[in-house]
Amino acid sequence: MRKTLSLLLAVALLLGLGAYAVAEQPLAISLYYSDNATLPFQQDWPVIVALEKQYNVKLNFEPIPMADYGTKAGLALSTGENTPDVMLYLTTGGAYSSYALNGAIVPISDYAEWTPHFNARVEEMGLQQDVDLNRLSDGKLYFLPSLFDKPFYDGGLILREDYLKAKGFDAPKTFDDLYNIMKAYKEDNPGSYPLTSIVGLRVVQRMTMPSFGVSVGRNTGTGTGTLSWDYDKKEYFAGAISPQYKDYITFMAKLHAEGLLDPELEQDNASTAKKLATGAAMAVYGYYDQIGGWEQASEIEGLKLNMYPPLVGPGGAHHQPKSKTGGGLLFPIAVSKRPDFEQVVRKLDEIFYSEDATKLWCFGPEGDSYKMDGDKVIYNDAILGSADGIYKYMQNAYGTGCAGLQNVWYLDRELTKYDENYARINAEVAAMPDAIQYTVPVPSFDDITAEDASLMQTTLLDAFNVWDDEFRTGKKSIETDWDAFVKDMTDKGIEKFLEIYNANKKL
Amino acid sequence: MNRSTRIKEKSPVLDALIWLVMLLVLLACIVPFLYIIAMSFSSSRAILNNRVSLWPVGFNTEAYRQVFAYPNFFRAYRNTLFYTGFGTLIALTMMVIFAYPLSKSRLKGQPIVMKMVVFSMFFGGGLVPNYLLLTSLRLTGTVFAMLLPFAINQFNLIILINFIKTIPDELEEAARIDGLNYFGILVRIILPLLTAAIATVGLYTAVFFWNDWFYSLIYLKSDQYPVMLLLRNIVNGTTMVGEAGGVGENASVAIAIKSAVIITSTLPIILLYPFLQKYFVKGMLVGAVKG
Repeated sequence: MRKTLSLLLAVALLLGLGAYAVAEQPLAISLYYSDNATLPFQQDWPVIVALEKQYNVKLNFEPIPMADYGTKAGLALSTGENTPDVMLYLTTGGAYSSYALNGAIVPISDYAEWTPHFNARVEEMGLQQDVDLNRLSDGKLYFLPSLFDKPFYDGGLILREDYLKAKGFDAPKTFDDLYNIMKAYKEDNPGSYPLTSIVGLRVVQRMTMPSFGVSVGRNTGTGTGTLSWDYDKKEYFAGAISPQYKDYITFMAKLHAEGLLDPELEQDNASTAKKLATGAAMAVYGYYDQIGGWEQASEIEGLKLNMYPPLVGPGGAHHQPKSKTGGGLLFPIAVSKRPDFEQVVRKLDEIFYSEDATKLWCFGPEGDSYKMDGDKVIYNDAILGSADGIYKYMQNAYGTGCAGLQNVWYLDRELTKYDENYARINAEVAAMPDAIQYTVPVPSFDDITAEDASLMQTTLLDAFNVWDDEFRTGKKSIETDWDAFVKDMTDKGIEKFLEIYNANKKL
Repeated sequence: MNRSTRIKEKSPVLDALIWLVMLLVLLACIVPFLYIIAMSFSSSRAILNNRVSLWPVGFNTEAYRQVFAYPNFFRAYRNTLFYTGFGTLIALTMMVIFAYPLSKSRLKGQPIVMKMVVFSMFFGGGLVPNYLLLTSLRLTGTVFAMLLPFAINQFNLIILINFIKTIPDELEEAARIDGLNYFGILVRIILPLLTAAIATVGLYTAVFFWNDWFYSLIYLKSDQYPVMLLLRNIVNGTTMVGEAGGVGENASVAIAIKSAVIITSTLPIILLYPFLQKYFVKGMLVGAVKG
C-alpha cells in the first residue's frame, strides 16, 4: 500500500512538474515583417530580445524585402498556403479587402474581447472613429491598425535658410513668398532650378495641392485618382476639372516656364542630394531627417537647410492629409485553426499595444537605451553622440521606431528623439488650424462596383496625367485648352465616377 | 583582279574604321563599369559634388564595409553560390539526359514529346498554379524549390538537342559495334563532344540562378534568400514616403553603397566569362546553320 501511494505521489509530482514545464514554454508566433534596407532587421535587436523575455514569447520573424512585401503577402493570402500567424504593416486596402471578404483573413473585430490593450489605446487616443473607417463593407475590421495620437509634420518645404538670411528674406508664409525667394535665387544662379523634390513630382504635388483645395489622387490614400474631398461639405468633387486645380496648375506652369521648377523631378535621393549640395536647387519638398545628410554632403560654406510649415494658398495652409491609423497586424485565416488561437491574439495584443510594450518599442529597454529623470527621457551617451541622430541610430542599434514593429505612436514621445528645432516646427504646425487634414477613407464598394470604379479610375487618371504634364510644361495652354480638357474628362466619365464615390462614401 | 584577291588585300582605312568602332564598343562597355567602381571607392561628398569620374576621389572602402556588414550578407552569398553551383549541375545533368533521346527523331513518341517541350516554352502555368504545385509537392521553404523546377529550360534543351544532332551517327554506330550501350555512348562518346554546348548552356543556367531573386522570394524562407534579393532590397530601399501620420523612414542608401552592391553582385559572374568564352561563341552558333 505504501509503495502504491509512493508511486502515485511520484507520478503526480512528475505530472505537476511536466505541466509546469509546459506552462513555461514561450509561445511561438511566426510573423511577416516588411524589411527596410535602411534599417535591416535584426532578430537580436535589444527591443525584440527584451520583449521575448518580458512576455515569454518566441517571435519568429520572416523579414521580407519591403519592395516585394506585397507580392509575398498577397501570394500567401490568395493561395492560403504557407501563411504566418500574423502579417505586420498591412491594411485591408486594395486587393486585401477582397482577400478579407473572401475569407482569407480573420475578422479580428469578432474577437474584440481578446484585444483589451488595443481597445484601451484606441479609447485613450480617441481614435474609435478613425479605426472604424477601416471596417469593410460587412462592417468588420480585418486588421489591428497602428495608431497615431497626432499626425506628425515630418516632411514639407525645406529651404536654404542661409540664403534667406543672406538676402534678408523672411521665412516664407505663402506661395507668393516662395515664388519671390526662388525668383531671386534664379537670378543669382541662372543655371539652377530652385525647386526640386525627392522621388518625383507627386511628392511636391501631394504636399502642395491641399493648400489649393485639391488633392487629385496624389495622396494615394484617397484612391480616387481624379477626385478630391470637400472637407466642409464632406463629399467628393471632381477635383481634376475644378477651378482649384486650374489655379494650382497655373502656378506650377508659371514655375516651370520661368525655370523655377526642376524639370527632372523623377529621381533618386542621390540626385536630389546632388542638386541641393551643389546649389543646383535651393528648395525641396522632402523629409526633415534628410536635412542632415544633404547639409553634410555640401561643400558650399555655411549651407543651412530648414523645414517650414505649410504655405498659405487659395485653399488655406495645409500639408498632405494624413491618417491617424496605418498598417498594422493582419491575421491570415490559418492562425484561427491553431488550438491556442486566443492566446496568440492576446499575446500579440499585449506585445504591440500594451502600455509597457509601446514604451519599449519607442524608447528601447529602460536602463539600457535610456533612463528617466522625473518625466524626462535621458538617452545614453552613445545615442546622444551619434552622427546619425538619435532617431536613426536607435532604429538601427535597438530596433525602436520601426514602422511595422512599433504600432502605437505618441508625438510627444517621438519628439524626444529629434532636436528642438523639429519640436518647434511641429508645435507651430500643430497650432495651425487643420494644417494636416484627415485622409479620406476609400469607400466600401462591392466587387462589381469596385471593378467599375477601378476601370474608370485608370482611364481618367491616365488621361489626366497626360493633360497635367502638358499644362505644366506649356505644351498645352491652360487658357485656350482648358475647355477641351474638361470635355475630355467628362467624356471619359468623371461625373459618373464622382457619383459612384459619393454614393458609397464612408463619412 | 578576281574577287578572292580583292578580299585578301588589306585596306588600312577599313582596318582603322573597324578598330575605331571596336574601341567605341569597348569604351561603351567598360566606362560605366569603371565609373561604378570609382564611385564605390569614393567618399559620398565627392560623389554628390560631381567630383568623381573614372578614378576614386576620397578613396575609402566604407561602402564595401557597410555592404558586408548587412545582416546575413555572407549567408545570402553562400546561398547564391549553392543555388548557382548545384542548380547548374542538376540542370545540365537533366538536360543532357533529356536532350540525347530527343535528338533521335526515329524514336517513337519523339515528335509529341518535342511538341510538349515547345508548347511549355511558350505557355507557362502562371504564378499561383506553380506556387500551389510546389506547395503540394512540399517543396516551398526548401532549397529544392529553387533547384528542381528550373532543372530543364526548354530553350537550352533545344540548343543541346541541335548540337547532338550535328554529331555523326557513324560515331554512335561504331560505339555500338564495340559493345557500348546507350548510356555508355552518352557518357563516353556524346558528352566529350558536347563541351561547347555544355559551356554555353551552363553559363546561361548559372547566370539565371545567379540573377534570380523573384522565385527565391516567393518559394523560399528569408534565411534561404540569395544575395540578389538582399542586394535588390538595398538598392530599392531608398525611400519610403508614407501616407500614415508617423515618422517616415526616409533615409537614403548612399550612392557609394549602391555602386558597391553592383560590383559585389556582378563581378563573380563576369569573371566566369573569359574562361568560357572560347566555347561560348561556338555553342551560340549551334544549329544556326543547317547542313
